Amino acid sequence: MADNTIKLGEYIVIQKQNYKKLHKFNKPNSVVNIGKDAVNLKGIEGNRYFSIFKMIPHGTKRNKEYKLELAEETCSLKEEITLKASGADNRNIYDDGRSQKLSAVEIDELKFDSNKASDIVETIITNSTTFHNKTEFSQEKYLKKKEKKYFEYVQILKPNLRNISEIMYKLEPNKIQGIRLDTLSQIITLSNVSCEGNHLLYDSGSNGLLAAALLGAMGSQANGKLVHMHPGNMSQKQALLAMNFETEQYNKCISVNVYSVLRQLYQGCDTNTVDKEDSTLKRKAVDDLEHDAKVSKLEDTENATSNVDIVNTGEENKLPSPKKPKWHFDNIAASEVLSNKVDSLVVASKEDPQNIFLELLPFVKPGRPFVIYYTVAEPLQSLYITLKCLSNVAALKLTCNWMRNYQILPERTHPEVMMNSSSGFLLTGYVLQ
Amino acid sequence: MSFRHYKEKIEEGDTVILYLSNHLHAIEVKPEIKNKKGELIENVYQTTFGALKVRNLIGSEYGSKVELSKGWGHVLQPTPELWSLTLPHRTQIIYTPDISMILLQLDLVPGCVVIEAGTGSGSLTHALIRRIRPHGHVYTFDFHDHRAMLAQEEFEAHGIADFVTAKHRDVLAEGFGEDLNGKADAVFLDLPSPWTGVKHAVAAMKKEGGRFCSFSPCIEQVQRTCLALQEHSFQDISTMEVLQTELKVSRRTIPVRDLSFLKHKSSNNPVEEKPSSEKNYIVGSWPATAPGHTGYLTVATLPPQYIRRKCKVDKDIMEDSKADSEVDQVADHENGKMCIEENP
Ligand SMILES: C[S@@+](CC[C@H](N)C(=O)[O-])C[C@H]1O[C@@H](n2cnc3c(N)ncnc32)[C@H](O)[C@@H]1O
Repeated sequence: MADNTIKLGEYIVIQKQNYKKLHKFNKPNSVVNIGKDAVNLKGIEGNRYFSIFKMIPHGTKRNKEYKLELAEETCSLKEEITLKASGADNRNIYDDGRSQKLSAVEIDELKFDSNKASDIVETIITNSTTFHNKTEFSQEKYLKKKEKKYFEYVQILKPNLRNISEIMYKLEPNKIQGIRLDTLSQIITLSNVSCEGNHLLYDSGSNGLLAAALLGAMGSQANGKLVHMHPGNMSQKQALLAMNFETEQYNKCISVNVYSVLRQLYQGCDTNTVDKEDSTLKRKAVDDLEHDAKVSKLEDTENATSNVDIVNTGEENKLPSPKKPKWHFDNIAASEVLSNKVDSLVVASKEDPQNIFLELLPFVKPGRPFVIYYTVAEPLQSLYITLKCLSNVAALKLTCNWMRNYQILPERTHPEVMMNSSSGFLLTGYVLQ
Repeated sequence: MSFRHYKEKIEEGDTVILYLSNHLHAIEVKPEIKNKKGELIENVYQTTFGALKVRNLIGSEYGSKVELSKGWGHVLQPTPELWSLTLPHRTQIIYTPDISMILLQLDLVPGCVVIEAGTGSGSLTHALIRRIRPHGHVYTFDFHDHRAMLAQEEFEAHGIADFVTAKHRDVLAEGFGEDLNGKADAVFLDLPSPWTGVKHAVAAMKKEGGRFCSFSPCIEQVQRTCLALQEHSFQDISTMEVLQTELKVSRRTIPVRDLSFLKHKSSNNPVEEKPSSEKNYIVGSWPATAPGHTGYLTVATLPPQYIRRKCKVDKDIMEDSKADSEVDQVADHENGKMCIEENP
């Protein structure tokens, strides 16, 4: 917690205006795309989080790149540009595309030559025939728009569950099964996860977001484990890695393949299959890496510390004295946790949740909560009916969330024009004896 | 004591949640209670399914079935969520959908120090405590002395008093106290004029900055709070509303009306037919009435001291700007520039 400097090898959040980006900061001079701009991150290393950097254009006009320079403070265009005159309403404004005397090319050159956003906008305003006729409100709105376009600062933030899930949801909600912030927050509370106890998560597609959420709430001094079951060869860990957990906390999450761990649990050690599984594992791991590189826009080709691990273990297995791979021990550890039973169960599956839930239910201690997430209601409705008949759970509830953001401005407060309207459904309850 | 650790069995002094066909009741496990005359009598809890001798709960397992004189129920160990649904209301309370969002928006994890005002009925406080345990702390304030006292007693009875300090204090008039200056990772306000509390929040937050959240039912309160947050160089200010709806799940059999036979001539020509068959569905129906508004959540980040913007005080929007001088001096970082003209 105490260390607040930007370090190589950690994930960072780059914020420009309302735009946020998650980035694994692996090379001191990596170039990231922020909107349309390529920005070289040279110089941010070692600075404190929250530092603000000015984007300085640099390179050729064709091959533009911005470099970053630590800024004392930002300023908004409204504060920099004094609005001289304004009209009472918009009656004299015609949008005939001729109000700007500068051409697009000229504006672009201006942008590239000038160092200060306010200078650019001031020049644009001076060359606009309509600006001074606009109402103060529209002038402000105009400046806000220009600010967005020419604003030349980025801020580096520390990733946390809030900004990671916001970024992932905005970027590609399907990759996290459409789990919106409010729903995510309720999964954490309704499963009653805290620094105490062992917890079980089945997750087949949230890119590590749920594991990140639960492990975060268990905290650095958690006395238990989070068993993170997934159906694939590799667990998806992007969000989990992006949290920059200390190794000790990170290791409290045991990610295991659901088949391997249950086979381990019910049938004991399945050593005879290790070799076979391991080689498929290795091949799949490589596939995953490539897949990630192509698909992930979160720039996370290197997300795979764990992937790389497994590839390496695969290699080690070819050595004369084969060492058991890490996942072998993970399976044993996880099945031990399961046989002692857990204090909560969270299921967020792409598959029908019914079988999975009923199979995992016996591992939950009586009186403990469970939370099942699904993107649409029907599978949960049918599970609801099943559970009602089995009457092995209490306080069964199917819920759905609605969330709306607001623009708050004097005299101009209203809900935001767009809202994220999909957030899935939660089926929650408590396990009975 | 049943809020502190996971437990297997019910002990005397626990608070248990009795679940009776969709109704929840919180029961304090005391074998005997005092009657009106002050005599100790057997504690019998009356339910719609008959009486429950509270003494009989002792020793039974959480999650198990309990017999009532006219039926049965189940006993659960309380969680902050179950507690919010069953606690004795001394004020309006915040419920799980908002509570969950508040915890996430405040970036709370174990180890955080969080300030809350007012304590009210302690609904949020229980969830805060669970999240910041074992090495964090909650400081909660209420200017109503009885409420502050009852809350403290409740935390003790629940076995979680060492993670929380409940104090009687008017935080808008007096702030959160000298000893909390620069201590908090997060500040949460649920009281009528949160904007006046913003400057105190700034004073209480760590120099590395922190998160702020305020819960207000009315939009006018939100507007003033947002202005105050801007004035105190908060960033990423945003306001949202969260609502949860519970769907009623049931089997439904619906009639099917066949019209296809009308295409062909046939002997009988009825004008009114009984539906020809039925079809079964499992449906989730939306309640006819549901909560339409709880409150607006306004959240913001106070950046670390070295980066806080110098306050440009706009006199007509911040009427209490003059009183801000101490806070602004704190906010006005290392290079010692003054931000309010009036300040010497
Ligand atoms: C709506 S209740 C809070 C409910 C609480 N969040 C809960 O979930 O149980 C508001 C409380 O704030 C307290 N309050 C109002 N103004 C206050 C002030 N200036 N200082 C301290 N407490 C205050 C009231 O006494 C009341 O108990």
